[in-house]
Amino acid sequence: MGIEFENVNYKYDKRNAKYAIKNIDLKIDSLNEFICLVGHTGSGKSTLIQHMNGLILANSGIVKVSGSDVKKTRNINSVRRKVGMVFQFPEYQLFEETVEKDIIFGPTNFGVSKKEAILKAKEVAKLVGLEQTILEKSPFNLSGGEMRRVAIAGVLAMEPDILILDEPTVGLDPKGQREMMELFKKIHQTTKKTIIVVTHDMDVVSEYSTRVIVMKEAEKKFDGLARDLFLDQKLLEELNLKKPTYIKIAEKINKKLNRNYQIGCLSLAELIKEIVKGE
Amino acid sequence: MNVIVGRYINRNSWVHRLDPRMKILSLIILMIGTFMTSTLINMLWILAGVFLLILTSKISLLNFIKSLVPLLFLMTFTFVFQVLFNKQGPIISTLTLNLSFITILLNVVVIIGYQILKRFRIRGFFWFLLTFAFIIYLYTLNLGTPFKIINLNLYRDGLTFGLFLLVRIIILVSASSLLTLTTKPADLNNGLERLMKPLKVLKVPVDEMSMMISIALRFIPTLLDEVNKIMKAQASRGVDFASGNIKKKVVQIVSLLVPMFVISFKRADDLSNAMEARGYFPGMERSKFGILKFRFSDYLTILFSISFLVGIVYFDL
Repeated sequence: MGIEFENVNYKYDKRNAKYAIKNIDLKIDSLNEFICLVGHTGSGKSTLIQHMNGLILANSGIVKVSGSDVKKTRNINSVRRKVGMVFQFPEYQLFEETVEKDIIFGPTNFGVSKKEAILKAKEVAKLVGLEQTILEKSPFNLSGGEMRRVAIAGVLAMEPDILILDEPTVGLDPKGQREMMELFKKIHQTTKKTIIVVTHDMDVVSEYSTRVIVMKEAEKKFDGLARDLFLDQKLLEELNLKKPTYIKIAEKINKKLNRNYQIGCLSLAELIKEIVKGE
Repeated sequence: MNVIVGRYINRNSWVHRLDPRMKILSLIILMIGTFMTSTLINMLWILAGVFLLILTSKISLLNFIKSLVPLLFLMTFTFVFQVLFNKQGPIISTLTLNLSFITILLNVVVIIGYQILKRFRIRGFFWFLLTFAFIIYLYTLNLGTPFKIINLNLYRDGLTFGLFLLVRIIILVSASSLLTLTTKPADLNNGLERLMKPLKVLKVPVDEMSMMISIALRFIPTLLDEVNKIMKAQASRGVDFASGNIKKKVVQIVSLLVPMFVISFKRADDLSNAMEARGYFPGMERSKFGILKFRFSDYLTILFSISFLVGIVYFDL
């Protein structure tokens, strides 16, 4: 089922000619996809993802979440439960007295009983790598990284079919960024649920994505595999995107050391394999 | 966002160029003047004067009408109250209301029709007034046999005093709008600070207060932005801000207020560090970037304002 966009348009100011998103056609499966959504500031990424759980309703066109039209559903919460959204700096949405209460806030809003929600909270806390003892603490006494994990756990506890993350690694140190991305990879592998990550980091795109969507000036400019995107020099220039580190390294080795490695390596492991094969 | 602050509209008119201190003082004098006036004629003259100021300020009249809209209810209420209950002076006209079964039945039909139309987004204050007027009109018709006749008398003083209060509200609101529309919030704050400076002798922390005001003004849009973000984040966790009973409403507000407090404190912390790093110390003398200077037109304005007040006192008392 998943999410479907049919010719969706949206403007923030109807009198203004500027579209926030324009003519978007999109189909996202609820299973087995790890999508990276890329684009410069103001390209319409945030607007696009907010359409996916009914925070913004399209001016024209149809958005369907698991088959039902978002505009026509009576209960918008049924859509919001299916599509879990983690905003930028999600640690700021915490407000309850204890971590556990904050994690069960979402599920109880959607009608899950408290008992079940607490069980679920313990499970997701473990999944995102939080100690069980943390559950009784106040969320405001945690470190930034822990707070972010709590917020993500709060969305995961709602058991959404699809998880959307808006720049989840922003403001973390490199190690924290890596841990965060590995966390999503783990969630993706264990639950098979589709994950959509908005990011500016091309290394994240190359390493984790199974599909890349590029937005530019309110329109969808690319939708496909990361390899196809990064090997197309002309397209990259047109979209103002940088190459990921491992492709740059491969290119540099080829140039400086006169080798002939494949430059389509998307992760460190692939690059090492390629080099080992070549020597 | 329809917020009162930051409504400044940039035009090049003499009102814009005036010194903010002068504008504030003149506004205060004008307000005192309107409260000292006791006749409708004089009040209308002041209104004409304010109207002239508005015209020469090059700001569209629409903005002033917009600022009156929130007070529409108050204005109508004051007027109607005076007209109905002020029974002084000669009677100007009489409205005869016939209460019969047919008219009451029609009245009920109209109210039901009004309620139904309301669902189709046909509503608003003017629509309400129109319906109300129509109902009154219904009663003046001679339909059926009346079982009770009510005579509504309109007294001259009631009408004039009602109009008097109406005009006073319009003057006060549009004159203060003229100040906020033609003066940048920063200038306004600056002017206020200067005007309050004498209070320093009484140990009133004028500088700090003005700094607080300017910081508050600066952060209103930022905080509104944050509220929006948090609302969206909580909405995706299943909080429905549009509906819910009281218990749910409390949770909704708490889920919004706690994060907002956390964010505001964090921002305040960052800001105070940044200010200290740039050498700000409360109570210390600071030099100013924009130094206010009186010009000829400013002196002329204050002279005119004072003569206006004297004129009011002379003609009215």
